[in-house]
Amino acid sequence: MPFWKKGSPGGEPTRIFYACDIHGSEPTYRKFLNAAKFYDVDALVFGGDLMGKLLIPIVRDTGSTWRARLQAQNHHITSPEQMTEFKEKLDTLGFYSFECDAEEYQWYEGHQDRIDDKFDELAKAKLVDWIELAERRLAGSDVRVYLCGGNDDTDAVLSALDDVSGDRVVNCENRVVPIDDEHVMATVGYSTPTPWDTPRERTDEEIGKVIEVLMAEIDDPSRTVFNFHCPPLDSGLDTCMKLDASVWPPKPIIENGQPVYYGAGAQSVADALERYQPAVGVHGHIHESRGITKYGRTPALNPGSEYGEGVLRGLIVAIRGGEAVGHQFTSG
Amino acid sequence: MAEAEAVTPQVFTRRASGLVRVMSPYSAFIYNILTMGIIFPWTFIWVPAAFQGANLVLVILFAFLFEVPIALAYAWLATALPRSGGDYVFQSRVFGGGFGFTVVFAFFVIWILQWVALSGWLLAILGIAPTFLGLGVATGIDAFTDIGTWAVTSNGIIIISIANALIALVLLASGFRNYVRFQYFMWYAVLISFAAALILLFATNPSTAHAKLDSFAGAVDGVKGFFATARQGALAAGITSFHPPLWLVGAVLAAPVTWTSLQWASYSVEQGGEIKNAHVFRNQLFIIVGSLAATALCLILLSLALNHGIGQDGVITASSGYWLGNSSALIGGTYMAPDLIAIALTRSWIIVLLVGVGFALNSFQIVCNCYIGCTRIMVAQGLDGLLPDWFSRVHAKWKTPVNAHVAYFVAALPVIFAFNKIADWSIKWALGVTFANGIVFMFSALAAGLLPYRAKKLYEASPGAKYKFGNTPMVTVFGVLGFLTATFMVGAFLFVKELGLGYSVSGWLPYYIVAGTAAVGLIIYFTMKQTKAQKGIKVEYAFAEIPPE
Repeated sequence: MPFWKKGSPGGEPTRIFYACDIHGSEPTYRKFLNAAKFYDVDALVFGGDLMGKLLIPIVRDTGSTWRARLQAQNHHITSPEQMTEFKEKLDTLGFYSFECDAEEYQWYEGHQDRIDDKFDELAKAKLVDWIELAERRLAGSDVRVYLCGGNDDTDAVLSALDDVSGDRVVNCENRVVPIDDEHVMATVGYSTPTPWDTPRERTDEEIGKVIEVLMAEIDDPSRTVFNFHCPPLDSGLDTCMKLDASVWPPKPIIENGQPVYYGAGAQSVADALERYQPAVGVHGHIHESRGITKYGRTPALNPGSEYGEGVLRGLIVAIRGGEAVGHQFTSG
Repeated sequence: MAEAEAVTPQVFTRRASGLVRVMSPYSAFIYNILTMGIIFPWTFIWVPAAFQGANLVLVILFAFLFEVPIALAYAWLATALPRSGGDYVFQSRVFGGGFGFTVVFAFFVIWILQWVALSGWLLAILGIAPTFLGLGVATGIDAFTDIGTWAVTSNGIIIISIANALIALVLLASGFRNYVRFQYFMWYAVLISFAAALILLFATNPSTAHAKLDSFAGAVDGVKGFFATARQGALAAGITSFHPPLWLVGAVLAAPVTWTSLQWASYSVEQGGEIKNAHVFRNQLFIIVGSLAATALCLILLSLALNHGIGQDGVITASSGYWLGNSSALIGGTYMAPDLIAIALTRSWIIVLLVGVGFALNSFQIVCNCYIGCTRIMVAQGLDGLLPDWFSRVHAKWKTPVNAHVAYFVAALPVIFAFNKIADWSIKWALGVTFANGIVFMFSALAAGLLPYRAKKLYEASPGAKYKFGNTPMVTVFGVLGFLTATFMVGAFLFVKELGLGYSVSGWLPYYIVAGTAAVGLIIYFTMKQTKAQKGIKVEYAFAEIPPE
C-alpha cells in the first residue's frame, strides 16, 4: 500500500513510535532508531531531553592506568579492555566522559562554567553523531525521525538540529510539520519552571503563547498530534514529588513525615488539549508518571523513561482520519 | 606524578532535572519485615503437630537458608532494574511478556485474593478474638468475651474480613500518603506487641503458664483443668509423644511452612523506583537479605520464648488444636496462637491491648500489602495492554488507581466466603497462597540466573556485574540455586501431605485449581492480544527488547 494513503479514513492507520527523555543514553537512542523496523512504524517522534546529566572525568594515574568514580564506587582502570568496557557502561547510563590528567581535572574542578562548557561540547558532538547515524540507518526507507529538545537540553546543543541537512531527520522544535498526508504534528519542547532551574523553562503563559502561535498555522486541529514535552497539569501524567528549591540539590518536601506529591505539568497544555481536541497528545518530562488520560475524545499519554538501565520506554500510536485508533506502551 | 596519584576524581554534574526517590533503605528494610509478618502463626500452630519431631528453630533455619540464595538473586535484580514493578518487570524482561503476565497474574494477582481472606481471618483469630477475650477476662465484662467468641465464628470472620478489606480499600484509594502515615504507627505497634509477647513468655515457666491458661480458659469458657484436658485431647487426636525424637528430614520438609513469612523478603522490589540509592548493591543486601535475617531471628526468638513459656508439650498441644482438630485445645473457640497464649499470661488490660492491637494492626497491614502489590501490577499490566485500560486509570484528585482497588475488593468477596464456608479451606489450604506465590519467586530467581545471558547489556551496566565465581556471574549461581530451593519448596507443597495441598489430602482439586488459575492468565493474555491486534497493535511489543544495532 502506498505511504500516502496511510492515515486516511478507511486506509491503514499511520503508526507513530514516540519516546523521550533518553538523556544521552547511547544504546537507548540506537534502540529508538531501530524501533522503526522493529515495531514496523511509519514515523519516529522524539519528545525532548536528549542531553545526559553526568560527566565522568577519567583521570590518568601513574603509568597507563586511570581512575574514575561511578555509582558511588571508585574505579581503577588498568588495561585498554577495561577502558572500553567502562566507556560502554557510561554510554548505556547516558553519562559523558573525557580523559584527562590530574592537572586538567583540577582546572575543571569547582568551576561550573567550565564544566557546563564541556557538557555542551560533548553533548553537541554526540547529537551530531546521532543525526548522522539516523540518516545512515534510515536511508532508503520512508521513515522519518522527528527530533526536538526538552527543558534539560541547552540551546547550544540543540543548535546542531539547525544544521540538519539530510532527508530522514526532521527538526520539529517549535514547529508544525507533516507526519503523513492527513496529519500534522505541533511540537513544544519547553517545560514550566522546575526546582532544578533547567536550561529551557518557560512560564505557563509563555508556553500557552507558543502553542497558540503554532495552532494558528493549523487548519484542522483534530488532525494534529501534540508533541508537547511538558504534560498537562494535574493529569496523572505529571505526578512527582514536590521539592524544596531553596537548597541544592533540591530535596523532597516532607509534611507529617511524608513526601508531598503534586502535578508538575502545564495548565496551558491541559487547556490546549481540551480546546483543540487533537488526535492525540504525547508527553514526557516526568519519568515516573507513565500513564494515559483523556481530554474529551483525545488521549494524552506519557510513556515514562528508564534510560539509565538502557531500556527504551516508548509508545506506539496508530492514527487514522484524525483519531487515535490504538496505542501500546513499550519497554524495549 | 605524585600529585596525579593524590587525585580522587569526582562526578561532574550540571543543572538538570532529576528523579527523586524518597524511601530510605531503612524504610524499605522495615517494609520488608512488616510484609514478612512476624505474627504469621503457622510455624507455631501447624508444624509441631503436622511434623512431630521437627525442631522449630531448625525449621526456621532451613527456611532461612533456602531463602538466602533467592534473596541474593533478588538483590542483583533490584540493582540492575531499580524500578517499580518487581517480578512482573523481571520476568517479562527475561522470559517475555506472555510468560511474565501469565505467571504474575495467575500466581500473584489471583492467588493473593486468598491473602485478602487470610488477612481478615488473621484479624479475627489473632487480633480481635484474643484482644476481646483477654479484655473480658481482665475486666470481668462479659460483653468483651462475647465479642471475642463471636469473632471466630464463620459469619464473624466473614464480616470482619469484608470490613478489613473495605477499610483498606478506602485508606489506600483515597491517597497513598494516608497509608504511609499509618504504616509508621503500625510498625511501632507491632514492635511493642511483639516485645510484650516475648517478655510475657520468657518471664514465666511451663507450670505457671499452664495454670494461667487454665484460669484464662475457665474465665472464658467456664471449663476446669483446661490444659490437662487439651493435652489428653492432643494424644487422642494423633500426637504420639510430647517429647518426640528429633526428625531432621521433618524439619526440612516443614521449612515451606515458615517460607510463608520468609518468602516476602524481596517484596520491596515492587517499589524499587521509590527507594533511595536502589542501585547501590550494599543497600539492596541490607534491605532484602538483612530483613530476611532479622525476621528469621524474630521467629527463632518467638519459638524459643514459646518453648520456654509453655514447654514443648504446651507448644504441641496448641498445634493439635489447629492441625489435628483437637477442639479441647481451643479457647473461646479459637486457636492457641502465640499472642493468645501471651494474653492468657496477663491480667492487665493494658498489656492485653498492647499485645492484641499490634497483632491486629499487622493483620491489617497484610491486606494493605495485597492491594498495594496487586493493584500496581494490574496498573502496569493495563498500561501494557494486557488488561483493559480501565484498570490503569489514576484518579485525578487522589492520584491512585481507584478502579484497580475496587476491582480487587470485589474479586476478593467470593474468596472470603469460600475461605470461611468451605470445610478445611481455612486450615488445610491456608498455605496454598504460599505455594502459588512461591511459583512467582521461583521463576524470578531463574530470571536472575539468566539475566546475564538474556539481558546482557542491562546486566553489564549493573553494579552487580563485577561479582563472579571464576567466569560465572554470581547472580547466575545464586539465581540457579534459588530456583532449585524454591522448586523444592513449591514441589513439597504438591507432594508432602502435611503441607495441606497434596493429592493425599484433597484429591486432584489443588492441581485443578493451580492449572485453572494459570489457564485464566493465559486466556486473558491471548484475548487481549487478539483484541489489540484488531486495532493494529501487537501486545508483545510491550516487552520485546529492541536490539540497539
